[in-house]
Amino acid sequence: MKTLIHFLLILTVGIASAQRGIDPTDEDVQLAKKLREQYGKEDVAILESSDMVSFGISKDGSKVTVSNKIREKLMNINHRADIHKYEFYDSESKIEQFSLKFRNDKKANFMVQDEFYKDSDLFYNDARVKHMAVDFPVQGYTYNYELDKSYNDVKYFTSLYFNDEYPVINKKISIAVPKWLNVELREFNFSGYSISKNQTVNSDGETVFTYELKNAPAFYKDENAPGRTYVYPHILVLAKSYTKDGKENRLFTDSADLYKWYKSLVDMMEDDPSAFKAKVDELTAAAKSDEEKIKNIYYWVQDNIRYIAFEDGIAGFKPDESQNVFTKRYGDCKGMANLIKQMLKAAGFDARLTWIGTKHISYDYTVPSLAVDNHMICTLLYKGKKFYLDGTEKFGALGVNAERIQGKEVMIEDGDKFIIDKIPTSNTEVNKETYAIRLAIDNETLKGKCTKTFMGESCAEFLYGYNRFGQERKQDALQNYLSLRNKNIQVSNVVTSDLKNREQQLKLDYDVAVNNKVSSFDGEIYVDIDFMKEFNDFDFKERKTDYEFDYKSDYLSSVTLQIPAGYKVTKLPENINVSGKDYDVAITFTQTPKEIICKKNFVFKNGVIKTTEFTAWNDFIKNLNTIYNQQIVLSKS
Amino acid sequence: MKKIFTAVLFLTVGFTFAQDMEEVRKMFWETKDEGSDATAVPDKYKNESAVVLYEYDYFYYPMFYPKQGFRKRIKLQDAAAVTEFSEFSYKELSSRSRSVNNNMLGIKIIKPDGKEIIIDTQKEARQVDDDRKLAIANLEVGDIIDYYFYAIINDVNSIFDTQESTLSGGYPTLALRVELQLDKKLFINLNSFNGAPEFSDLPPGRKGDRRLEIRAKDVPKNETQRWLYPLVALPSYKWQVSTKPFGKPDKEVANGKVKKKFTKDDMMFSFEEKYRPFGDMQHIEKFLKKKTFADDADKVRQVYYFTRHFYYTQFIEAFAINEAKIFNPFELYKNPIFLDNETEFINHFMAFLKDNKIDYDIVVATARYNGPLDDVLLGPNLDVMLRVNTTPEPVYLKYFSPFTNADQIASELENTDAYVLNVFKRKRVTDVEKVRLPSSTFQDNHSKVVSNVTMDSGMTGLKVKRESAFSGHLKEDEQSNRLYFYDYVDEDYKKFETESVLERVKRDKKREQYKKEYEALINKYKDKQRENLKKSISDEYDLKIEKYEYTVKNTGRFGRNEPFVINEDFDIENNFVKKAGNNYIVEIGKILTGQIEINQKEKDRKLDVFMPFPRSFENEIALEIPAGYTVTGIEKLNKNVTNPTGGFTSTAKVEGNKLVIRTNKYYTNYYEPNGNWPKMMDFLEAAYQFTQEKVLLKKA
Repeated sequence: MKTLIHFLLILTVGIASAQRGIDPTDEDVQLAKKLREQYGKEDVAILESSDMVSFGISKDGSKVTVSNKIREKLMNINHRADIHKYEFYDSESKIEQFSLKFRNDKKANFMVQDEFYKDSDLFYNDARVKHMAVDFPVQGYTYNYELDKSYNDVKYFTSLYFNDEYPVINKKISIAVPKWLNVELREFNFSGYSISKNQTVNSDGETVFTYELKNAPAFYKDENAPGRTYVYPHILVLAKSYTKDGKENRLFTDSADLYKWYKSLVDMMEDDPSAFKAKVDELTAAAKSDEEKIKNIYYWVQDNIRYIAFEDGIAGFKPDESQNVFTKRYGDCKGMANLIKQMLKAAGFDARLTWIGTKHISYDYTVPSLAVDNHMICTLLYKGKKFYLDGTEKFGALGVNAERIQGKEVMIEDGDKFIIDKIPTSNTEVNKETYAIRLAIDNETLKGKCTKTFMGESCAEFLYGYNRFGQERKQDALQNYLSLRNKNIQVSNVVTSDLKNREQQLKLDYDVAVNNKVSSFDGEIYVDIDFMKEFNDFDFKERKTDYEFDYKSDYLSSVTLQIPAGYKVTKLPENINVSGKDYDVAITFTQTPKEIICKKNFVFKNGVIKTTEFTAWNDFIKNLNTIYNQQIVLSKS
Repeated sequence: MKKIFTAVLFLTVGFTFAQDMEEVRKMFWETKDEGSDATAVPDKYKNESAVVLYEYDYFYYPMFYPKQGFRKRIKLQDAAAVTEFSEFSYKELSSRSRSVNNNMLGIKIIKPDGKEIIIDTQKEARQVDDDRKLAIANLEVGDIIDYYFYAIINDVNSIFDTQESTLSGGYPTLALRVELQLDKKLFINLNSFNGAPEFSDLPPGRKGDRRLEIRAKDVPKNETQRWLYPLVALPSYKWQVSTKPFGKPDKEVANGKVKKKFTKDDMMFSFEEKYRPFGDMQHIEKFLKKKTFADDADKVRQVYYFTRHFYYTQFIEAFAINEAKIFNPFELYKNPIFLDNETEFINHFMAFLKDNKIDYDIVVATARYNGPLDDVLLGPNLDVMLRVNTTPEPVYLKYFSPFTNADQIASELENTDAYVLNVFKRKRVTDVEKVRLPSSTFQDNHSKVVSNVTMDSGMTGLKVKRESAFSGHLKEDEQSNRLYFYDYVDEDYKKFETESVLERVKRDKKREQYKKEYEALINKYKDKQRENLKKSISDEYDLKIEKYEYTVKNTGRFGRNEPFVINEDFDIENNFVKKAGNNYIVEIGKILTGQIEINQKEKDRKLDVFMPFPRSFENEIALEIPAGYTVTGIEKLNKNVTNPTGGFTSTAKVEGNKLVIRTNKYYTNYYEPNGNWPKMMDFLEAAYQFTQEKVLLKKA
């Protein structure tokens, strides 16, 4: 028989290393309790965080290097906390120190794991993560965290944030700028925060810029939130030039330097269009117009090149050669953009590589930094017009730009120069989605005919979702979608427009029978006419950041109910008509002698609901639910 | 010199691996076999996402380093299939392999025009920690992907391996071949079931290895549906390979034949010596001294619960404390005994029974999802328990979880055939007999939920107070989902007069510190538990629940008939209440919580129905009728669908100011033949329809 001691020998190995430091002081415990009240949902607060940045020059003198030292005092403000402390690095950066100390300054030897950072969007990338599991046994327990990290090249060191994964009570950022370095520290989103700034000169003659912020909340965990660059105060480190041995060396002084570097990577590529010449010929041979040729090429790439990304060193910035992407039938955004460009070129068009920061990034090209963009598309210059082609958009029609790139600046290649332009924004109308249903009561069942239509991005979204299913499952998937997976809703005789065509309005016609939405009591009929209940759960009671939709939407629903013979309507719900900066909603109930018509129109004209609108929006949702919870009463006439 | 030697060694190793690779490649890609170069898909499968044209599964058991591999040749018929096969991970291909670096993966693509593209997997694969990943280039709809994978699997020193598999997979398969090759010194039990073709012998392999294969053609894709035991309902095969025989190695087996049947004699051979009364009895003896018992059965049950505590739940706090790194609690125990597996429990309890001269037998049975007892071939498919032969009823005992009761036969073993190993004089197994294990009824496996429902002040939502009591087999799952260890260890310490971990810490100062940390840990767990319980009730109703509180009324851990009882209070806001003019419609049926929804596809079920156990769900819903209102429309809340497979009944009446609804849903049997499926659907539909019924609160 095994004894417990044997059984547990293996389990207890870890414990010796987790030698405890000392208990928290009473003051610490009181502070933790206070902070917990303030930051209700957080386990840990960072009492002090200092982020120190200094610069150097690489041995060969060709690069400006960065040293970033972070010191933090972490406190458990909940009963107990078990967290993972982690830090990323990659081929351009190195972690030299990553450790924790107890309150009494003795080293806490938590085991540090070092592994690849896995991202479901990236098939392979060279980013790695060091992490350790840290436990705080009681409230008020603290650790001191030390991180020393260095960067080989200042261009990869782009920004400094005040907020963190946990609330930070005192945040200090200090940047020591040597005389030989010309760097701009550009501030973003500082307004509304009391960030103190200070400038001193240290013993090495460096100018030290110090910023301090108190009580910075943790990064919000909202979904569909704007990118961090919009929400949180931060500093972009724009290293413009440095002087060595009396000679000034340009870094990214302005966007021309950024372009120059991008161009140097593009010049390293050796495209070989002969690999896809036959395919281009095949795609253009029967085309009756230039537009058709362009579409055939663009759509072929969307349909046939799978998104598989390798972010491996310079491959994170340099596009893969077009012949490789063509032969492999996969690539990332850069690879797809380049393939579209080269195929269009082979067909005789003027197409260019184009850098862009998606909507997720707030900057424009006045910011000479790698942080400015994160995506690449292809621009077609045709008869004086620009067409933006994004190979990663599946089912994106020519001329329709996805919300995520609309209104954003682009940097288009133009030999040694470049063109800065802006992607036009669309109105809501182009994405219009409609739902129309005519119902009659048949023995406590609602029966009728229904039509749904989609356009623009609503169409692309539908087609993308639908075409991800295997062909034998497509029919079921469509049924489930139309019936909302609700057993009460039976869908039949579905007729669709071409579910591969991304250009025309998409249309679904079907018959529907809905059970359990009609009840009879004492000779009166009660009808739950509004069983779709669009947006009923869509409130922002706990949300802290703007809600961003996938696209600007315009949804129109129309439900018509025939009044059964011999009945009259006693009461209809009241109409609602609300407009905010970001939305217009109109819900109307009208009655004709034979019918009741309920129309609902939701328009999100900016593709967003701003936090400033939340109070009004939440009030509206409450009213909306009051309507949804009302029944139409039909009594004998 | 050393350097050269290392280099030579390195080269040799490299050469061997390369040689092996070449051999494996030839085996999978160059062995001519029927269907192995197929390219065409029959019309009936044209609408499938993908079709397996040929699959070859290969298992090789030499005396060391067992290996496993397969080849699949798959026609990709749509974009979803292309996406599915566009990335490979060595780790995902085999969770059993020893090291991904020794695994062999070969992939080729066959274009519709017949052109073959072989991928250099060694070169293309990227190492990501302990995995290797590969993105497949040039893959398009209409292509055939033809790949093999070959790996050395975990078990190194002593060969013991089992396989249980249905013939069908995720896609239809046109030709399937499963081959097994093993050293002739190894013992094998093997058979095919439920209409799968028989294994046939192949000419011996290298060093006289035994070789067997099974072949099937046109295997439809897997059925996945509710209440299905695939290994009982679908064509399948099983084997066990081992250096030791499982069952009696008769002459034929010794001569290279496989064992296809496991009989009573085999049982005797394999289990005669397997268990023996053995264990340190001092703790049980001490416990017995303090107690008196009504009879032997009472004694056995009490000792069982003592055992469950003393050798198990006594240490649960210690495990939690250790895991949270609060301190090392194990040094506080003197020679602790922790029964961490079935065999240890059986031996230990047999020792107690022997000492106390109480007769018992050992029961060996197989879970119903493995198939009938006569088809058993695999050791791991057998479960063991004790039958203590008390009067008038025997007491069945099994290895415990913190919630296992005496007299509780595992639901998957109930009502199945089993072997009883008769133990002579409480010492020696003398013979084996086949018996039918007792079954439970739907009355035994019962839950009763009483919900008291009131309208909230704004007449827009409901407030619910409910008490749920679970008995029989419905109990253990609920206990393990809802109870955390601190909910029950204290009742054990008290009942058996043992000390908690903290009570064992003798130094006051230390104890104070540990106590603080332990309490912090428990408080953290409690927050998590409340969140989980709230989420679980939200899932039951399929909506958001507000203001959730709960208390555990009875843990239900001491007796099969003692229910686990939990009380919960919560609000359901903005749902279930609809305004209708001056009146209100209340969706009272929804208080029953979500019921099984049979969709159109399920209605056409072709397979038999395999369920865990008979069971019943009783509900009482009392809705307080607000002052100034009357309730109408209660007729529809009365349902009555009963048949031999089960039923759903409900009655509704107004009692004082309350609408009181009583419902009962029950499933009579463990199993229903497909012919009874319509009957089951009848009462399942009735239960679903009940949830859709509403009443009208009419302003008086």
